[in-house]
Amino acid sequence: MSRLDCEEALAHLDDYLKRELTPDMLGEVRTHLERCRDCEGYARFEQSFLMMLENRAQKETCPNEVRARIVAALRAAARGS
Amino acid sequence: MAEPSAAGRPFDEEALPHLDTLYRVALRLTADPTLAEDLVQDTMLKAYRSWKQYRPGTNARGWLLTILRNTFINDYRRRKHEPIAMDLEAVEPHALYRSVQDTDPEGTFFSQIVDAKVIEAIDALPTDFREVLALSDIEGMSYGEIAETLKIPVGTVKSRLFRARRQLQAGLYAHAVEMGYIKPREPAR
Repeated sequence: MSRLDCEEALAHLDDYLKRELTPDMLGEVRTHLERCRDCEGYARFEQSFLMMLENRAQKETCPNEVRARIVAALRAAARGS
Repeated sequence: MAEPSAAGRPFDEEALPHLDTLYRVALRLTADPTLAEDLVQDTMLKAYRSWKQYRPGTNARGWLLTILRNTFINDYRRRKHEPIAMDLEAVEPHALYRSVQDTDPEGTFFSQIVDAKVIEAIDALPTDFREVLALSDIEGMSYGEIAETLKIPVGTVKSRLFRARRQLQAGLYAHAVEMGYIKPREPAR
């Protein structure tokens, strides 16, 4: 049985979403979210925000020409040493 | 191309897989693609030269990011016009969910915002905030890994991350309202 009230559960929400809680506390927060529609809605919103952020920002990758330039610079450094 | 570290794998094998991460973090730190490219190249060359100091089996990504960050602070920070420093403690927007829970509780308006605007909103955050946000929420690093990379306590990582997310949400919400993706909440009575 969860002993957390809404304030306590939400205080742990960031750590919960990042999976950085002890198994006990993880269970406590999960139980609270299963029983509280308001906090569950909050958690889902935060989760969708974080997923959006990761998906969008990870699309940026090191351009091929930059990669090639760096590899060439490393080769030059290896020859020089 | 590169000689192995003390008892480990060659530099290329350990370092090159992290190039995308280094590039993204460099973009967030400099907010300038040309500077970011130079910063990543300088970082890789410095890392290559100090490769013997890397302890095999430890966190290569963190090791590279620490070099990137030190290089940025020492050689790049003053080259770039920093946004006007904000009073980090004073800025504390309320949780965005409370503004949208009646109109768009799933946050579907996020999906209407174009990639470039999301990036722009991240880059509008104060440097200390966007650095932690990038490492945690884009690169997926743990609190402990970030604390070690940035040489700051875990508590500081968490408080910066909390504020960074709140500020970013507020920025994205303002943009979404401006573009008509979402109706602004009625003013509180």
